[in-house]
Amino acid sequence: MNPLLQALWVARKDLAIEFRTKESLNAAGAFAVVILLLFSFVFDPASPEVATIGGGLLWLCFAFGGALIFNRGFARELPNECLDALLASPVSASSLLAGKAITSFVLLLIVEAVSLFVFGFFYDVRWWLHPLKLFAVCALATWGIAILGAAFGAMTVNLKLRELMLPVLIYPLLLPLLMAAIELTNNLLMNQVTSDSLLWGRVLLVFDIVYTSLAVALAETILVN
Amino acid sequence: MDTRNFLFMFYGFLAAWVIVMIYIITLARRNSRLKRELDDVKRLLDVKETRAEDRTASLPHGRGSVQG
Amino acid sequence: MREKLVYILAIVGAVLLAWNLYGIFTVLPDEAAQGAIYRIIFIHVPAAITAFTGFFIALVLSAMYLKTGDLRYDSAAASVTEVSFVFACVNVATGSIWARIIWGIWWTWDPRLTSMFVCLLIYFGYLMLRKAIDEPTQRGRLSAALSIFGFVDVIIVWKSIQWWRTQHPSPVLSIRTGGGNIDPAMEHMIYRDLLAFLLIAAAIVLVRMRQEMIEREIDSLRRLAHA
Repeated sequence: MNPLLQALWVARKDLAIEFRTKESLNAAGAFAVVILLLFSFVFDPASPEVATIGGGLLWLCFAFGGALIFNRGFARELPNECLDALLASPVSASSLLAGKAITSFVLLLIVEAVSLFVFGFFYDVRWWLHPLKLFAVCALATWGIAILGAAFGAMTVNLKLRELMLPVLIYPLLLPLLMAAIELTNNLLMNQVTSDSLLWGRVLLVFDIVYTSLAVALAETILVN
Repeated sequence: MDTRNFLFMFYGFLAAWVIVMIYIITLARRNSRLKRELDDVKRLLDVKETRAEDRTASLPHGRGSVQG
Repeated sequence: MREKLVYILAIVGAVLLAWNLYGIFTVLPDEAAQGAIYRIIFIHVPAAITAFTGFFIALVLSAMYLKTGDLRYDSAAASVTEVSFVFACVNVATGSIWARIIWGIWWTWDPRLTSMFVCLLIYFGYLMLRKAIDEPTQRGRLSAALSIFGFVDVIIVWKSIQWWRTQHPSPVLSIRTGGGNIDPAMEHMIYRDLLAFLLIAAAIVLVRMRQEMIEREIDSLRRLAHA
């Protein structure tokens, strides 16, 4: 079977399980909203400055919420040796990894959509001025978070210190991507395009390409004992 | 030599030196710890071997079940 | 044999370094604007190049471990990474002392400094990950993967001063600029210092690799003892 199709089947399975229980979705969504709420105490939520730091605020929520999602991605397969069964099945390791990334991608996008509405509502920021561009930024950055999340979720799944190691390893690697996403989102929120926008957009794109190819190439190494 | 900012230049060279030295000290400590561990394990093995030899020597006609 | 090599490397490196220090303080001219502090460049830049060379070697060794499964490559990669991490720390420490005088601040969040900070965090994570796993082949596999993922950031650090307009000075070495940005005598001294640093780093790596070997021996003996 086509590897991409295999990945989509894995994602379909995971999304079906997730939408039945909604455990990571609820947790990540609630967590993101709580962080948004906490930030209202850090600065004056009524000031016009919110637009200038809104990007940073949003992407911190998404990155932290994301950790809850991809922490579960592979850990969900541990009971009943489901992970071993999946690896023994004809699905290749890279398809399995890509499938997990697609699942996190979809779930994280849903969390982001909810957070954006909450953000617009509480902080009076008009984020819908450039809907297509904002969606492009979100999609590119979220894919980067999802693929690295899947790769490191797979790496740490058998460790005793899984929940501790995952954030320590993944946030430094994600930083270039988060910086780019924050810059671009800020530009969109403030309704201005600077000369650096193109550069940051390129950072996002290259980040996605490089880490997706690395993750697919190393999937076998990471997953198969 | 120009002496402006001489003190901070000195700090810079000192910092580099101190960092490398701290690392070398931790290396030396780890070295002695590893040597000790290696000796411990070797002694443990020796004890086990001599015990096994004693046991086979003390067994009647050199057979019987191994205990412990 | 190995011990002798360590001594030779360390002594040659130390003598070269002493000779360089003599040159740095007595022979080289002063820099017009910065005063004495500019001399930090002779530690700052060679330390950075030593660290990045080390991270690159670690990347190659990690790939070779994944290819062959030979644990010696894994211990070599780990040793080289650890020593490179120390030199990266030297780079950041000296840089921020220079910045305190020239910029008036210890730290600024421009792309060069930020990506370098991220680099330290990534390789610190690498060392932590190795401590967190006991099983040697699993430890080798995962840390090799992390070494490959992490090296992307090293490229970003290296290129950042060309991609962005940073507060950090832009490239000065002739191999990157085509020449003209630095006094040839000073550039020459940077390379001489780099050689000394590389020799010392190689000596430390050999010591560290020997420790890894002893650790493996202890492991196998222990297994024998408890079998």
